[in-house]
Amino acid sequence: MDTTVYVPLDGMGAGSPAVRARSLTKTYGKGEAEVHALAGVDVDFAEGRFTAIMGPSGSGKSTLMHLLAGLDSATSGQAFLGTTDITRLGDRDLTALRRDRVGFVFQQFNLLPMFTAEQNITLPVELAGGTVDQAWFATLVETLGLRDRLSHRPGELSGGQQQRVAIARALIAQPDVVFADEPTGNLDSRSGAEVLSFLRRSVRELGRTIIMVTHDPAAAAYADRVVLIADGKIAGDITDPTPEAALAGLDALRTLEPSVAVGGDA
Amino acid sequence: MPGTRFPTARLTLGQMRRSAGRLTAAGVAIAIGTAFVTVTLLAGDLINRTARDMIAAEYATADLVLSVDDPEGLTRYDDAAVTAIADLDGVAAVQPLAAFWGDLRHAGKGSYQVFVPAPSHESLSPLELTEGTWPARSGQIAIPPSVVERLGVGVGDTVTLQRSVYPDEAETAQGGTGEGSVEGEAEMVEPVAQTDELEITGVTSDPYGAFTGTGGAVAATAGDVAAWTAEEGADVSYEEVLVALDEPLTGTEVPADLRDALAGAAAATGMAADHVAVETTEARAAAKTIEQTGGQDLVFMVFVLTFAAVALLVAGLVITNTFQVLVAQRTGTLALLRCIGAGTGQLYRSVLLEAAILGALASLAGVAVGAVLTQVALLVAPSFDLGIPLPSAISLTATAVVLPLLVGIAVTVLAALSPARAATRVAPLAALRPADAPTLRGRAGRLRAVLTTLATVGGFGLLGLGAALGLAERPDVGLLAGVAGGAISFVGVVLGSVLWLPKVTAAMGRLVNRSGPSARLAVANTLRNPRRTAATSTALLIGVTLVTMMSTGAAGARQSADTMIDSEFATDIIVAPGSDETIDEVRSAVADVEGLAASTAIAGSFVTLGDVSDLSVNAVEPDALPGVINTPEEAAKLTTGTILLTEGAATSLRVADGGTITATGPDGTLDLTVAVTTAGPLNRIITTTDLAVLDADAVPHAVWARLATGADATTVLSDVQDATGAVDDGAMVIGPAAQAAQFRQVVDVILGIVVGLLAVAVVIAVIGVTNTLSLSVIERTRESATLRAIGLSKGQLRRMLAVEGTLIAGVGAGVGILLGVLYGWAGSVTALSLMGDVQLVVPWTDLAVVVGISLVAGLVASVLPARAAARTSPVAALAVE
Ligand SMILES: Nc1ncnc2c1ncn2[C@@H]1O[C@H](COP(=O)(O)OP(=O)(O)O)[C@@H](O)[C@H]1O
Ligand SMILES: [Mg+2]
Repeated sequence: MDTTVYVPLDGMGAGSPAVRARSLTKTYGKGEAEVHALAGVDVDFAEGRFTAIMGPSGSGKSTLMHLLAGLDSATSGQAFLGTTDITRLGDRDLTALRRDRVGFVFQQFNLLPMFTAEQNITLPVELAGGTVDQAWFATLVETLGLRDRLSHRPGELSGGQQQRVAIARALIAQPDVVFADEPTGNLDSRSGAEVLSFLRRSVRELGRTIIMVTHDPAAAAYADRVVLIADGKIAGDITDPTPEAALAGLDALRTLEPSVAVGGDA
Repeated sequence: MPGTRFPTARLTLGQMRRSAGRLTAAGVAIAIGTAFVTVTLLAGDLINRTARDMIAAEYATADLVLSVDDPEGLTRYDDAAVTAIADLDGVAAVQPLAAFWGDLRHAGKGSYQVFVPAPSHESLSPLELTEGTWPARSGQIAIPPSVVERLGVGVGDTVTLQRSVYPDEAETAQGGTGEGSVEGEAEMVEPVAQTDELEITGVTSDPYGAFTGTGGAVAATAGDVAAWTAEEGADVSYEEVLVALDEPLTGTEVPADLRDALAGAAAATGMAADHVAVETTEARAAAKTIEQTGGQDLVFMVFVLTFAAVALLVAGLVITNTFQVLVAQRTGTLALLRCIGAGTGQLYRSVLLEAAILGALASLAGVAVGAVLTQVALLVAPSFDLGIPLPSAISLTATAVVLPLLVGIAVTVLAALSPARAATRVAPLAALRPADAPTLRGRAGRLRAVLTTLATVGGFGLLGLGAALGLAERPDVGLLAGVAGGAISFVGVVLGSVLWLPKVTAAMGRLVNRSGPSARLAVANTLRNPRRTAATSTALLIGVTLVTMMSTGAAGARQSADTMIDSEFATDIIVAPGSDETIDEVRSAVADVEGLAASTAIAGSFVTLGDVSDLSVNAVEPDALPGVINTPEEAAKLTTGTILLTEGAATSLRVADGGTITATGPDGTLDLTVAVTTAGPLNRIITTTDLAVLDADAVPHAVWARLATGADATTVLSDVQDATGAVDDGAMVIGPAAQAAQFRQVVDVILGIVVGLLAVAVVIAVIGVTNTLSLSVIERTRESATLRAIGLSKGQLRRMLAVEGTLIAGVGAGVGILLGVLYGWAGSVTALSLMGDVQLVVPWTDLAVVVGISLVAGLVASVLPARAAARTSPVAALAVE
């Protein structure tokens, strides 16, 4: 089924790829107004790792994530979740995929205001018609420090708490991969740091795979690896980044010609 | 704001353009309401014009109509006056309007007809000849198609006219006729039946519908009509005389000299000149229409406009909801405007201006739709052969255009008042931090709770009082109290619904909650905006309550009428032969009619009961009686040796149930046991065996018959009429069963019309449900996208909205049905108690239909919003606004 030749990229960490993009292209508009949001992206994301996608505003980070998660359709190229080419799936299969194999964390939390934290967390399982794995639920609640907040509604939670509920919701179905788009964008720096360390703990302690989009080098430094993107193309790769290395990478993207690799580790 | 003119209008227009889609449903609701008003006004005008046209049709194309203007109403034109007018110079012809009623008969069939004089001039006749000739001499007539059909006759045939002749005193004194009239004073003169053979010379048509109400008219010579009228003992004189002039009248005024000449001619024959009114045909028709309709058209308008008001009220609820959502959605913008200096008054006016513009546009559309609908109905109507000549085009009167417009704008602006107030509560600070949408709570809510509870409790109290008064046989006062109580309590229920309806919704929600995640989401969604949901349910509740009330009331009325008719008219059909000789033929003729279960002969005589002489008694075979009676258990009381008496008859004869009464007839005396019956027609009934003892010569004088189950009362009745008519011209057939069927039909037709009128409100309410769902869907775009992103399928999303729709509709329908049955019962008890014991009927079928329609409507209402929601890409969840 999968005939694409797997080409490992430099700087890859341990583990087999959970998500891959091959010549992934996304073009918005036509003619004059044509925007190449993604101009042929090849990238692998390892399983059991916390990867950050970083780049300047408008570089195509969100677009890449949408395509990898099957939220939007590609203009050309392929995106694989494990061995599944999700660019070929219809809405029904994509819904099934989102239920079982993909989790999301949003910048604006997007909790349902009329449900309690607990109801929000278990909602994906309920939608799929499954039963909640109580042990896993307990683990998540402990890890994310939500024990005392379960009966609260989103309106009664701080931003950081809301985002932790959202992370629990993303993880409840034990998905293959969790996508997070600017998860700290709406948080103050303390709550942001808290959320990021919870994301990292989810990977380290719970063995999850997380791909996070951010434009913030400090946030990117929490990841195991940073993929740099500029003008819709992969522009670099930093393994085990520090905030300084991430910032340097971002600065290089701004000053240098696009598509010139600035990677390397710090 | 003095000095600074904040551009309210520009702001309003900008806001409207952005919210155009959201305003559409609200606009449609108002448009339907105003279309309703427009149609009503146009229909009222049409009815008026039709009535006027029918009255004018009688005047044909006469130039002038002479009528009497006599406050005492005594003046008439006699033949001398008519002749004098006809002899005037310039008068081509005159035609007094005369009518004589008589029974035309042929081969056992009869047709009661109005006879008018054959025209003296072609412009003076509303009738036109379609075949043959006008009657030229006495004994000739021209008949309308209805008589041709009913009697099966045509030109050249001869028919019989049966009429009453009141012999004058001279003749009576010669001892011509009955024994009874010999000693009598003038008033005691008995009419004598007179028959004339008439020759049919022509067939007429009534192209302008002058005789629509009477199924055409028979034309006879003026002399015959006058003679018959005179022989009936009536004056030969006229209230109106048509005049055709040599020179047709120009202009709309009657020239003074012409008026004087006509009045002078009439005065010369003894009339008071100032009692002679001379008018043009148009002027006379208009005046007479007002005289004859006597404000009935106004009653019709008020009746229908009541339902239009209900529809507009419901539309108002939809408007309020829409504006509340709009204001909530604009919180940010409004706060920003406040930050940069907009005053609360400006924001208030901006919302109201928006409502006024919406109201004006929607009302314009409504008026246009209403006018088009009415015109289309007019174009289609002739194909239904209504028998009434309708105008071919509506006339757009100023009232029919301006009134709906004003009402539509007023309703929209009024409905927007409370959302506009909410807009003024947006604090400038809200621009800086996301805040909950402004809502009206606090004192207003508490005041509302107190007032609506008072109204509801007090109203239901009054309603109960009305029912009690009804039971106490004071339905007049009872109805007054009941109607007032019903109205007050319903206002309380409707205005208070936002306070308690959410709780009902929550309870209903708990029931559907278990059926899966879509349902749980739906229930949670309906409860997050309790006021909006309540207002939407209330819109439907209003319509459902009224529909249910009507059908419950109608069911009660039908039931009571059935019970009453069963006891008042214990038999379905009664046949009385024209004379005692034909009784046997009539009996066998009736026995042969299909659709009758049984028939039996009734004999009668006059006897003395106790100390009261000359009482009629009826006699029947006791075995046969139960078969022809609707109350067999009453009939079973008759055995040889008993007499059935009603309670009242027993009391006045001073006997009790089981007592004995002595009956004395011409041939014998019997002691009869009294059995009291509730069935009126069984009063003073004995067995034929007993009657034979009292009066050996007693003969049957009537036949009672009962319908077979399932037979159509009206059809069987006319079959019986035809069958008996064939053997006995004078036979009289009475059909209580047909009356009952007719009554039921009338009730059903009225119910149908009322429900039809209320349906408009229900349609608007359903639009309201769609509107609320659509607005929610728009508001919840991010949320829907999130749900899609975390695994909600498109199907589940649609199901969620379907459950929301049915839940909102179901709550409205459920509560509405409860209220409606309650009101219907209260009304039945209050109004119908006089007719006997009222049974509280629940029209289950009707209720099932109402619930079914409501649920389906709720479901259908969710289709469009669900499609919009399903189109939302999950990407929208990630979008940053
Ligand atoms: N729906 C869209 N229609 C048109 N252009 C879009 C759309 N979404 C994104 N773009 C364009 O694609 C490019 C990449 O956008 P995005 O992936 O959102 O960038 P990032 O998340 O890195 O800020 C930008 O130039 C943006 O303007
Ligand atoms: Mg982005």
